[in-house]
Formats: sequence, structure tokens, C-alpha cells
Amino acid sequence: MKLEVKRIVKNFGGLQALKGVSFTIDSPQLVGLIGPNGAGKTTLTNIITGMLAPTSGEIWLNGERIDGMRPYAIARRGLGRTFQVTRAFRRLTVMENMLVPALARNPRADRHAMEQKAREILAFLTLDHLTNEYARSLSGGQQKLLELGRLLMLDPQIIILDEPFAGVHPRLQRTIYDYIRRVREAGKAIILISHDMESIFTLSERLMVLNFGELIADGPPDEVRRMPEVIDAYLGRDEEEETEHA
Amino acid sequence: MRRSAQLNTQYQARYTLWGLAALGVLILLIFPLLFRQQPYWLYIASQALFYAILASSWALLAGYNGQFSFAHMAFMGLATYASGILGRETGFLAFDLSPWVSIPLGVLFTGFVGLVIGYLCLRLRKTYLALFTIAFAEITRLVIKAEVKFTGGPNGLPLKPLLESTSYVPVYYLMVALFLGTLLAMYVLVRSRYGLYFQAVREDEDAAAALGVNVVNTRILAFVVSSMIAGLAGAVFHHFPTVGLVVPDEMIIGRMSLVLAMAIIGGSNSLIAAALGAIFIHFSLEWLQEIPLPAAILRTLEAHRATLESLGFGLGENGLKTNAWRMVGFGMLLMVTLRFRQNGLIAPLLERLSRRHVIQEIAARRRAREEEEIEVSDEPNEQVGGAS
Amino acid sequence: MLTPTVWDASLFHASPQLAVSGEFVLRLIIDGLMIGIIYALMAIGLTLIFSVLNIVSFAHGEFYMLGGYIVYFFLQTFEALPPLLSIVAAAIVTFAVGFLFERIFLQPMARGEVERPNEYAILVTFGLAFFLQFLMLGLVGPFPKKAHRLFDLPQIEGTFFRTTKATLFLGDITISAGRLFAALIALLALAGLLWFMYRTWTGRALQAVSQDRNAAAVVGINPLNMNTLAFSMGAMLAGLAGAVLVTVYSWVPWVGVPASSKSFVIIVLGGMGSIPGSLLGGLIIGVVESLGTGLFPDPARAQAYRDVFGLVIFALVLLLRPTGLFGRKL
Ligand SMILES: Nc1ncnc2c1ncn2[C@@H]1O[C@H](COP(=O)(O)OP(=O)(O)OP(=O)(O)O)[C@@H](O)[C@H]1O
Ligand SMILES: [Mg+2]
Repeated sequence: MKLEVKRIVKNFGGLQALKGVSFTIDSPQLVGLIGPNGAGKTTLTNIITGMLAPTSGEIWLNGERIDGMRPYAIARRGLGRTFQVTRAFRRLTVMENMLVPALARNPRADRHAMEQKAREILAFLTLDHLTNEYARSLSGGQQKLLELGRLLMLDPQIIILDEPFAGVHPRLQRTIYDYIRRVREAGKAIILISHDMESIFTLSERLMVLNFGELIADGPPDEVRRMPEVIDAYLGRDEEEETEHA
Repeated sequence: MRRSAQLNTQYQARYTLWGLAALGVLILLIFPLLFRQQPYWLYIASQALFYAILASSWALLAGYNGQFSFAHMAFMGLATYASGILGRETGFLAFDLSPWVSIPLGVLFTGFVGLVIGYLCLRLRKTYLALFTIAFAEITRLVIKAEVKFTGGPNGLPLKPLLESTSYVPVYYLMVALFLGTLLAMYVLVRSRYGLYFQAVREDEDAAAALGVNVVNTRILAFVVSSMIAGLAGAVFHHFPTVGLVVPDEMIIGRMSLVLAMAIIGGSNSLIAAALGAIFIHFSLEWLQEIPLPAAILRTLEAHRATLESLGFGLGENGLKTNAWRMVGFGMLLMVTLRFRQNGLIAPLLERLSRRHVIQEIAARRRAREEEEIEVSDEPNEQVGGAS
Repeated sequence: MLTPTVWDASLFHASPQLAVSGEFVLRLIIDGLMIGIIYALMAIGLTLIFSVLNIVSFAHGEFYMLGGYIVYFFLQTFEALPPLLSIVAAAIVTFAVGFLFERIFLQPMARGEVERPNEYAILVTFGLAFFLQFLMLGLVGPFPKKAHRLFDLPQIEGTFFRTTKATLFLGDITISAGRLFAALIALLALAGLLWFMYRTWTGRALQAVSQDRNAAAVVGINPLNMNTLAFSMGAMLAGLAGAVLVTVYSWVPWVGVPASSKSFVIIVLGGMGSIPGSLLGGLIIGVVESLGTGLFPDPARAQAYRDVFGLVIFALVLLLRPTGLFGRKL
């Protein structure tokens, strides 16, 4: 597995949301991505997954250039993501939600086997009792869990989680936390975007800090948290962030 | 104990549904026997099936895929005109083809136009798509109407008969076959993975794309299939010896709204509900054309003939003619349905029938889980993640 | 197979009877300008609805149709009353119908009680269009109606400038009195609208809501009431346009269909919903349509293609600026 992000720039009119971001992920690892609101984290995710075109720069996945490809093609190459706001398919049942990526990735997949796999994942996410319910009747947190489960059905190598903890009941947060660990143990690379410092520092093996569209730090979490520019830009305002997200 | 009861309801639901479907098919098949004395109703029935195909194929596009196109009748008309022109003896593009050849060609042509329009619609969201398809439908109709030399203009284009016999019976059965065939084909399609893609794209294009669904192909597929089915229905129906003519005003937006009303009142997120809505509405409209009334009442009304006529009603031999007013009623019904039963009047009933076991199952599992949670509530939170 | 019988030359050449003189063209332009003002009025109504409620009304043309019929019937029924009252009546009725519809069917949407609001807004306004078309068909039947011009011109005799009851002559150029009055009334309505939007508290409140609903709510404007007002006023503007045009064109229950697509084209052409932009767009459409119809070689097809041209422009703009029709995403 190898994801290379090279000198990505993104302009929105006059605003430069990303100013030449580069990094590489070439092994299973959990990468935390933090930065103040408006730093460009979601924009970067959108560019990597093909939802937005970069103004300049390149993205390579396993030796293939993927910027300019359409999002579905990138997803089928094993790069998955969730969205900051929940986007379950509300008028499909939970099981149908799970089957969409499985069949999209591999149309010839055995539907029964897929349903079995989906049941296991749903059981892990404590959604098994809702298998045949419409997604719209799930709570917000449960929909978030469903999105995470659905993502696994795509069988991605690398996943980007945009704020998976935001607005989720603490008990379900715990489930998400376990989910991330399990996915990591299953040998996948994860980019975790979060404002929740506690989970970032416990989970991350590597930490990237984005500030005003610039990657100002990239390294082991313990080193990064001591870097003065990081403290200035972000960590110094920890309390403020916390109250905002409480 | 609980498990077997559950299975029972599940099979019950399934049998009820299949039973109902079989009953429906049976009614369709014996209908001519019931109305042997009134062949007129057979004609109405084949017309109703024509609308049923249009409404259900529109539901495939709008209900399943979320593309609220107003060009459906235009596609119906395009295939019909294409087939009619190819079948003509003289004139532009006239090849004197048999309807059995010209209809498939007309449908293919419509599929191609559907492909182009579906492609152009890709970037358009709900309201803009509606506006664009209205524009397309009107352009098509106006051009067909204006180009008298190519299309016969406002007086319409005569079409060769598809069958020799002018009896209503074979026409009716052909329409039944077409209806069941298209419905089955669409049903198979929506039950396949494409059905899942259609709905995923309807719900959230970006999320579907992020999960590997090819949104472009999905949207275009829905567009092409639904316009080809509309075209097929139109071409076959108008080639019947009992019809034999197509006029541009069949593609008018008002006619489109009727099909739309049929699908919405039935329920546009179900093919069968949309079809049933169309059949029900078409028959009601026909019945309302002249509401049968007892002679005594008719005689009383006769005294007020002038008033009635000034109000747009009329008096027939056997009843009260409602003319445009029946449509006023359906317009109202459409708005009220949208406001208070957004999923239609028939679809929720079918949904209840087909998901009865699911609903019970969910309730049972909910109960079980709640009991379980009460038991474990004071254990540490290990329980939550440890379910695997 | 291209057979020569069909592609005959008359398709491409003007018929020889049609002499295109300078006066003729000038008359077409003046006619177009006068009608254009009225189209603009209608388009402004559509913009008002869109900018405040964030929906496109698919029943806009039907309010236009309704306004026309009300004038027609008013003139027939109350011959003794001043004819100008018929216009007032049309305004009142279309306003009231818009008001009721908004309260019953659109308000629940604004309050978030409706699932899939985008879809609902399209379908329910479309349902209203369907309903109103057939309602009028039931009431008046399918045969074209035309109202007489509201006033006669005063008789003036001059060499350059003279009038008869129905026509104004400026040298060689003739202007029909019906169109002249229609345009003047539309101008009056437009002036009233501008005064309302820029000089009254309510008008400013409407503008505030269209720019930022939440901020407007904070300063004490009730956005729900503004929705109702905007929709009713938009409907009324369409009704007014119909009310003055019924004296110019003949009227059938589906006369609103091409009229509403014209409104869409105007909005596209004219600066995405600004009032001056709509005015300009209206004038352009009026003139283009008038010239197109008058100068199209084959008069039989001219009428049909008059509407096609506008629709083609409209479709192209939708495709080229899919989110830009009103400058907002829908
Ligand atoms: N489509 C867009 N058009 C214009 N500007 C945009 C667009 N999307 C994002 N931006 C701007 O780009 C900047 C980065 O936004 P982005 O959503 O990526 O931030 P973020 O790091 O995800 O913030 P948050 O923590 O709030 O989620 C912001 O200033 C935002 O306003
Ligand atoms: Mg973000």
C-alpha cells in the first residue's frame, strides 16, 4: 500500500485552502490529522478521494496517479472515507446500506457471503438488531456507526475518517474507538481527523497538523505535541476547542 | 416458539403478496370475459395498461433514481413518431417498414435520445433537471407540431396497424403481455444490484460515489431504460388498429402531469403501486366522464341543463358528464396526497404487507436487546465492544 | 433517405409576398419592447418567490393565466364599472390564491414538516398548475377568449402624430392602443413594486429575508410571514402580467405554459434575478420574439418557433450554468 500526496494546492476563488500539502503513507498505520476549524482537513480529504479537483499537485495510489479520476474509481481502488456530516442512505435498510459498497466493489460477489459479512460487522457495531430497519429511523450516532460499517464492506486498504466522534453519544463513541483499533489491527491504514485530542493521542502512531492549508508538522505524536508552532497554532487553544465541541 | 411464530408470519406475508399478484394477473387475464358485452371497457383497459407502463417506468426513474424528469411523455412520443415515420410509404426517412420492425427501431432511437438527455442531465439537480426536461419536452413537441411535412403536424401521423384484427380482444392481451413483461423486467432490475445503486444514488450521490458506485452510469442507465420502456409502450399502443394515429398534443405537459399524478398518487417509490395508481385513476377518470345516474335524477337535472353546461358539466344519455372537473379533482387529490401522504396511497399498503414480518422481527429484537441491556447495565463498558 | 419532396426550397427562403420594410421592423421592435415590460413583471415575480422561499414555482404561468381570465370575466360581467378595476380584481384574486396555497401547502415545508422538500416543492407547485389549468378549463372551456382593450384612445389629428380609437400613428409607424395601455399599466405596477421593495419597511424586510433568513429572524422579522407575502406577491405579479396581456393575446387555459418558460429565460438573461436585470431580460425577450415571429420566413411555423427559440436558449443556459440560473444551488 502506498498513498502519495504531492504538493497539493487548492484555491477557492481568492482563498487558498491548501498551500502545497505533501505526505506519504506506505504502511498500515494510524495517522492522526488535526488542525483548527477551516484548516483544510475536509478539503484535503475531498481532494484525495476525487470529490474535488486540486488546483495543482498530484496524488498517487500504489504507483497509479489517481487525481483526476472519478471518486467511484478511486473508491474501487481501495481508498475509502466517511463524511463529516452523516450520509447514510436514509431510505434503504441497514442491510441494503451495507450491500451497496460490497456489490459496487465486486459485482460478482456472492450476495449471501456478503450478507454474512455484513451481519458480523453489524454485530460488532451493535447494530445487528436494526439490520432490516430503514436507516432514517436510526439515531444520528447509529447512522454514523452504519457509515463506518458500510465503509468496511468496500474492503478498503486506506480509510479516511472525517470527525467520526463528533456529535456521537459517549457509549457509541466507545464503539467507534474499538472499531478504529480493530480496523488498524486488521492491517489497514487510517487517517483519523478529529478534534478530540484524547483519542487522537491514544490512537495515533503518527500525527499531522494542518494549519491554514499548510502541513506544519508530521511525525510521532509525542514529538509533534511539543513543537512550538503546533502549540501556537492549535494545541494552545485546547480548552477553547473543547468547550466548543462539548 | 417465538422463532417459529416469526417464520410463520414471514411466510404468510410472502404468500399474501404472491397470492395478490396471482389474483391481479388472473383478473387481467379474465377481464375480457367479464366485459364481453362492453368492448369499450376493453379499450379503456388497454389504455389503462398503457398509462400503467408509463407511470411505473417513470417511477423507476423518479422514485428509484430520484430524477424527476418531465420528458417521459416526450420519449413516449419520440419512439412512436420514429416508428411511424420509418413505417411510412413515402416521405422523409420512409422505409415502409412493418411495425414489428419499426417499433424496435423507434425504441432504440428513443434509447439513444434518452442516453443523450440523461447525459446532459447529469450535472443538473432536482429543480434544474425538472426545468431542463420540461424545456426538452416542449421543444420536441413544438418541433414535431411545426414540421408538418415530416410529422403530419397538429393533425398527427397515421400509423400502420400492428395486428390485422380490429377486435379489442387481441389488442388487450397484447397490452397485458407488454405490461406484465415490462413490469417484470423492471422488477428484476430494481431487485438486482442496479436497484441498490439507483436508490443509493437517489439518496446521496457523493456518498454512493465514495463507496464505489459509478454514479454517471447509474443515472444514465435509469434514464435510458425508463425512456425506452415509455417509448415501447407508446409505439405499441399507437400502432394498434384501434388507435392508429399519434398527435403531438399527447406529449403536452398536461398529459405528463397526468402520468406523474398517477405515479405519485399510487406511490412513486414502488413500481407496482405506480402502475396500480395509473390503472385506478384511468378507470376512475373514464367512469367520471359520465357518472351513471338513475333516470329520475337525470330528469331533474335536465331542467338545469343550461346552468350545468355553463359550469362546464354536461348531461349524457345515462348520466352526468364531468368533463374537465374530474381532472380538477385529480389535481386536488395530487396536491393533498403530496401534502399528507408523500409516499402515495397504495405504496404504503404494499409496504405494510411485504414488511409485516420485518416489522415484527424488529420489535422482537428490540425487546430482546432492551432486556439484555437491563441485565448488563452495571457491568463495565467492555460489553459494548465485546459483542463480536 | 433524403427525398427532395420534403426538403423543398420553400423551407429556406422567405416567401416573396413578405416585404420587409424599415417601418415594419421598427414596429416589431416597439411591439416587442411593450410586451417585454410585461414579461419582465412576471419574471420579477418568479425571482421574488425564489429569492425568499428558495423554491421555483412551477405554477407561475398559471397565475398569469388566472389573472387574464379574471380581467376577461370582470369586463364581461361588470360593464358599467371602470375597466381599470378589472386589473385590480385580478391582482387581488391572484394574491389571495397565492396566499392560500402558500399557507396550506408551502408553509409546512418551511416549518420542516415535509420530507424531501426539494422534490415536494417541485411536485406540489406542479400539482397546483395542473389543478388551475383544469379548473379554468372546467369554468371557461377550451375555446380562446380575448378581452377588448380597456380604453379607447382620444382622437387626435396631426400630420406626424395622430390617433384613431385603436391605433396610434407616429409617422409611418403604427402602435396598437391595446399594447400601449398594457405596457403603461405594467410600468405603473413596476413602479409600485419598486417603491414597495425599496421604500417600505415590509419591502426591506423581504429583501433582508432573501439575503439571510437567520439574520432577518434575529432582528424580529418573521420569515414564515415573509414567505407567504413573497409567494402571494409573486403570484400577483404574474397575475398582473396576464391581466394586461389578455387584451393583446387570446387566452386559453394552458396559455401559462410558454409564459412561464419565458420567465425562466428572462431570469437567465437578466443578471440572475436583479430587478433591473429582469427588466432588461424582459425587453430583450420581447423584441427577439417579436422580430423572430415577424421575420420568420414561413408564417405558419413562425408561431411555433417563437416558443422554441426561447426554450432552446433556456435549455442551453441550464446546461452551461447548472447552478447559475438564480445563482444558487437547488
Ligand atoms: N466549496 C468551497 N468553496 C469555497 N470555500 C470553501 C469550500 N469548501 C471549503 N472552503 C473553505 O476552505 C477552508 C477549509 O475548509 P475545510 O472544510 O477543509 O476545513 P476543515 O479543516 O475541515 O474545518 P473543520 O474543522 O471546521 O471541519 C475554509 O476556509 C472553508 O471556508
Ligand atoms: Mg472539516
